[in-house]
Parts: sequence; structure tokens; C-alpha cells
Amino acid sequence: MEPDAEPRPLDGVRVLDFTDALAAYGGRLLADLGADVIRVEPASGGDQLNHGPYWMTSGTKPTSLFERFVNAGKRSVTLDIGAPEATAVVTELLRSADVVLESSRPVLERYGWTTERVDAVNAELTRVLVTPYGQQFDVESDAVDDLILLGAGGLLHLGGYPDAGPVAVYGHQSSYMASIFTAVAALAGLIGRVRNGELAQVDVSAQECVAQALEESVVRYAMTGEVRAPQGDVAKEAGTGVYRCADGYVSMVAGRLGTAAAWTALISWITDEEPDLGDALADERWGQFEYRQTADAIEAFRDIFERFATRRTRQELYREAQKRAIALSPVNDLAAVLEDLQLQSRDFFVDVDDPELGRVLTYPGLPYRMSGTPLHGPRPAHRRGADNVDVLVKEAGLSLEELESLAERGVV
Amino acid sequence: MSAELPLRGMRVLDFAWIGAGALVTKALAELGAEIIRIESRARPDNLRKSPPFRPGATGLDASGYFASRNPSKKSVALNMKQPKAREIALELARQSDVFTSNFRTGVLERWGLTYEDVRSANPKIVYLAMPMQGHDGPHRDFVGFGSTIAALAGLVHTTAVPGRPPIGTGTHYPDHVPNPGHALVAVLAAIYHQQRTGEGQFVELSQLESTVNVVGHGLIYSALGGTVEPTGNRTPSSVPRGVFQCADGEWLALACHTDEQWEALVRELGDPSWSNDPRFKTVLHRGRYADDLEVLLRDRVARRDRPDLLAALSDAGVPAGGVNSARDMLEDEHLIAREFWQTVPHPVIGDVPMFHLPFRIGSSARHEMTSPPLLGEHTREIATTLLELSDQEYEELVDDGVFY
Repeated sequence: MEPDAEPRPLDGVRVLDFTDALAAYGGRLLADLGADVIRVEPASGGDQLNHGPYWMTSGTKPTSLFERFVNAGKRSVTLDIGAPEATAVVTELLRSADVVLESSRPVLERYGWTTERVDAVNAELTRVLVTPYGQQFDVESDAVDDLILLGAGGLLHLGGYPDAGPVAVYGHQSSYMASIFTAVAALAGLIGRVRNGELAQVDVSAQECVAQALEESVVRYAMTGEVRAPQGDVAKEAGTGVYRCADGYVSMVAGRLGTAAAWTALISWITDEEPDLGDALADERWGQFEYRQTADAIEAFRDIFERFATRRTRQELYREAQKRAIALSPVNDLAAVLEDLQLQSRDFFVDVDDPELGRVLTYPGLPYRMSGTPLHGPRPAHRRGADNVDVLVKEAGLSLEELESLAERGVV
Repeated sequence: MSAELPLRGMRVLDFAWIGAGALVTKALAELGAEIIRIESRARPDNLRKSPPFRPGATGLDASGYFASRNPSKKSVALNMKQPKAREIALELARQSDVFTSNFRTGVLERWGLTYEDVRSANPKIVYLAMPMQGHDGPHRDFVGFGSTIAALAGLVHTTAVPGRPPIGTGTHYPDHVPNPGHALVAVLAAIYHQQRTGEGQFVELSQLESTVNVVGHGLIYSALGGTVEPTGNRTPSSVPRGVFQCADGEWLALACHTDEQWEALVRELGDPSWSNDPRFKTVLHRGRYADDLEVLLRDRVARRDRPDLLAALSDAGVPAGGVNSARDMLEDEHLIAREFWQTVPHPVIGDVPMFHLPFRIGSSARHEMTSPPLLGEHTREIATTLLELSDQEYEELVDDGVFY
């Protein structure tokens, strides 16, 4: 590992990452912060991070870009940790580690490394176990599914079309949510250890992670008995919703849910540009938010605004609305995200030399910036097993001959 | 194992408000820190005015939404427009370990509470800002909400049934997990560094940049020239996979990842003829005829009540689960067994179900959350303890409108 000029928050912290898709992004977050994160995967058998999208092109094995994204900055070891001949190196890895991450079931225990056996090697570990419903509820790994977790966590019920039913949010969000709190749990454990000498075994429930995302729906039910129903593409009030425009859609919050001045600014904007349409909104009823929340007003406004927007592009509407402090954004497809002027000006997109695909991949930059411990952005995700020599031989004490023996036996 | 919480003894000076910011400090409170919210009476936290309200309750202390995001915090009503307020805030910063804010760029500058200002008072402090799109750049002053950030970041376009308008999550999702979650990771990392070295620092999370990370895998694909289009609830590797309504009106989700699970589904729920139906013989075939299959499943699921069907599918080894409504969430057996919900009494609203952080540390009970603060409930307490003012000095500042 090359030395860095400036400190990073997790310098000197070693993480053993036994996660699958449910929590792998958690290890990624720790790697971004400077930890030495070592993925340990079985020598053969299924790919645990096999989520789409896949990059598939002539001469290239189908490669999961989810795996490339969540493994940025991690080292990779392949090792059957349950094999007797692996005992010495597993012992050394555990001894040298500060944090162990596991998902969606206890991995070490499954291969014979019980809590007692691990404690005997290293009693100072922060251990984070991430499971679908919590460690006391066993779930078969082939039963874990993002759709089912989003349902179990309550978020799925809030989304979708009133006539067609719930629709899951894009992009394995239950994994991102569980993974973010995996990193939170690991950091809480590290802080507790350094401040209080307290050791932590943390039991993360993916269902509970999703349940952080329920807005006010649970208190609403508890206080009023009302169960929130999905809006779908029906706006919540006049001025707040998703509206069609020349080249797609825009999203706006400009009714009572928005800033106080937004509705007035919105009317002025429409009136300035298209007086006829402005006239349709001139009636004093439109000034009352109670009226704007009626179904009639919602539909009337949609009709007027979509006529306003029909000859304007997402970017034009974005610029013009924001000049007037109206919270409007384009509904960007991912190609448009890459072209966003603000993200480009912040040098947000990072080119990463990917060793698996043998080409440059464009990653989003890190979610945050830190002044005292500057972070270097996503680093290449090592190829599977690429660090067997460095970790198992140079660091954990196997001889090259021994490594070769394990390789021939299929243990690495 | 005794539960000495990791942040016990630490103090947070909290200018965070509304959604994303409040969830960061709620989490820090649950990890043991003391949270002192600075609140304005003139421009109160929007959430204090947001429903749901207990029927009949009004005012700035009646919002269940505000309550659910702010247990275990203290509230000091300080008028930042008053000249003396700045010195009070800086004195509190001197005695704090963390400073948090999610104001848009410009507000803290106006009040003279930038990182440079606060660091002069306390070099060790960890200072968190969560501007919408960053402190610099052509769109630094743009306004937004969780839903519009989701749209900018690509989450809305990609969440739809093909051929229908894009809808996103139906919530301000970035405000609830991606942004407070990533911010919490960064703040905790900065606290770890602070505890090891004595050094503080400035942490900035652009809400847009943080949200883009949860579609990062798709973004890489898009940059390679791929097109990411919405697929509803479907995925080509698992067919069938979707959401279906039961006889009792409740929704369930199911997915078949393997042929064994598909065969079990056919036996439990389907018609024997499906086993020989050429349209369904492999996952690739089922993918081509997914529309037909869903019509058939809709009909089958609609004949049975959800509890029966979920029990049967579980016994058969078919991945399935309820699409839990808010009511279902409060009654969920896993969450109850893990004491995820805590009923917290509130002087104005009554009992409010609060949610814990999504993990348990060791074998101890979860940290007990305390009632969210009334606006300004702790002004006198903080003034006469941390600020070491006499009662008279405190009253004078109230008369002057500094505290209110």
C-alpha cells in the first residue's frame, strides 16, 4: 500500500470484509476513509456480488459493475477459511484485524470459526453482522431479495401507482441502506474502543435500515389512524410533483410544502412568460393552499404547467426556475447526471483505472469531503484474489510453496 | 456487556433542521452524545409546522413529524439576528465536540459561524455542513428538497413501470437514508480522527453528490455507454418477481431466484399445467412471457389472504414477504422482538412511536430515547449552566430578544 502524505481517518485500521451484496458497500465506505479493507471470499463457488448492471462486450467476461463500484479501494483474497490448512493464515488475519464485517449470515461461524475461537485469537475486534431481519432470524441466502426487503422495511408500500400497485425504487437500495449503517456500526465500534475501551458486536437488521426511510408515515398512522397510500404520478398538491416537458420530465416542490415564496414566484414566472396561462392562475382561489390541495386544483395546475413546459427543455426550466428560487429539478436519466454542470464544475466524476476490465471507468466521487483528512476518491477495486500473495505470504507468513500447495488444493 | 455508548460525554452544537440534518443528530444522540439544538422562534424548523398533528393540538410543539426526528435533544431558542447571539453560539461551540448544520450556503456566513469562525473558538471541533449541491460551483445557491435531489441524481427517472411516468420512491428518500447516512459516516470518521489526534476538521456533504453515490453502479454503466432504463419490479435473472394483491387487500412481494423456488411456487400457488407450459420452462422463457405469468399470478394471489399465503410460501421455500404498510410496520414481529419501536411520551402530542437506529450493540437493551424538546425548553438550563449566566443575566437577554 503506497504511503499517503496526509492522514486519513482510518489509517492503520484493518477490516476483514466477509460481506455479500447486502453490506459490501459498507466495506467500501471504510476503504474510502483509509482503512485497509481486505475482502475474503471462498476460493470457488458463487459470486456473492452478482448484481447488475453487467458490462458485456466482445472479449470481456460479463462483469458486474455493482461489484466494481462497491469494491473500490479494497484488496481481495480468495481463501476457504474452513479448510484445516488455512487455520494458520486465518488466525493471523484475525489477529491483525480491527473490524470484521459479515453478511447476510454469520460467515466465520459457518466455516468453524465460532465466536469463542475468534475471541481466543483477538478479543479486541469490532464485529458487525448484517442480516435481513436481525441475527436472531435466520434467512437462507438465496431467499434474500431487494424487493422483499424494501417491502419488509415499509418503503415499498409508500411508492408506486395507485392503480398498479407498489414499485420498488431503482438500484438495490436495501443494500445501500444496510451498507451505510454497516459502516456507521463499524465506526461506532471503533470510537467506543478508542474512547472507552468498549468492544462492540453489532447486529444490523437490513429491515430496520429500510425502516429509517419511512418519512412521517408511521407517526401519521399512530396519531391519526391514516395509512399513507402511494401517490404514483398524481401530484400531492398544485405545484408539487413530476411534470412533463419538451424532452422529458421535471420535479418541482412549489406549493405549501415548499418555501413560502415559491408559489408566488411560480405564478409570476408563468405569467411573465405566458400571460394567457398566467391568467388561468390569477383567480384568488389559487392563493389559498387548501384549494391547491384539492383534486380539481391539482389537475388544473398540471394541465396549465404542462402546457407551459411543453416547449421548454428540462435544463431551460431548471435554470429559469432556480433564478426565481423555485425548487425545480430536471428528472435526469443517468447520462444527464454525467452532464450536470454543477457536478462537472466540482470535478465530481473520477476516472479509475479498472484492473478487471483493463480500462478506465468513471465513478462518482465520494459522498463527502473532509478538510483535515483529505480523501482521495474511489480507488481501483482489485481483481478477485489479486492480493493472495501480498496478504497471505508477505503479511500473514505463508511461504510461497505453502501458497502453491493451497492453490493446487483449491483452498485459495 | 455494559453499554457505555461510544459518544457518551460528547456534545454537539446543532444547527441542523428539517429532515436530513435532524436525522444525523438523532443518531448521534442515540450513540450517547448530548445534542443542543439552536432554534429560531421567528423562522422555526419547518418540521414543527408539518403534519401529522394530534387532532386538536396546535402550535410549534404539536408536530408528530418533528417529534419523530428529534428525540433526546435539547432546544435553545436563540435569535441569531441579535449581535450578542454570535458570541453565545461561539461559547457553546467552545464547549462542544461537533457542530452540525444543513443550512443552504450563505446562512452561516451571514451569522459569522463559518468553519473558520467556529474553529477559532475551538480548533478541535468537527464541523459538518450539508449544502444542497456544495459550497461552490454554478448551482451552489440552487434550492431543492429530497424529492428534487432524487430527480437530479437519477433516482426518479429509473424508478417507474416502463411506459408510465417516472415516480421515484414517493418520499424525500435522499433526506432519510442516503444523506444523513453518509453524513453520519463522515462525522463519525472525523470524530474517530479527533479522538485519536485531537484534530478537528470541516466535513462537507453535498446532498446531490451523496445521493448520486447510491446509483453509482448505474452511473458507471452509463458512462460506458450503457442505458439504464426502469424495469418496474422485474429483473431478468429472477422470474417471476413482483408485487401482488391478496384477497384481503394486502400486498405481498415474491421472487423466484432458482428453478427449485419456481417449482415450489407452482406447487403451492399455481396450476399443475404451468410445469409443462412451454412458456415457463426456464427463466429465459419466463422472462419472455413475464406479462402472461403476472396475469396468472395476480389471479392466483387474489384468491387467498396474505397471512395464509405468506405462511404457505415460507413453508414451501419460496422467497416472499409482506409489503408492509405503516400499520404493518408497527405490528411487525421482527421489529417488536428487537424492540425497534419505542413509545416516547410527549407533553403535547401524547405517545409517539419512535424508531431506533437499525442495529443493536452487544446484548444490552437499546438506548432509551427521551422526549423531543419543546421549542426553547432548555434555554434557561443551558444559559445558567454551560453559559454560566445568572438568572438575572438570563432574564436580561430574554428582554433584549437574544433568547426568546
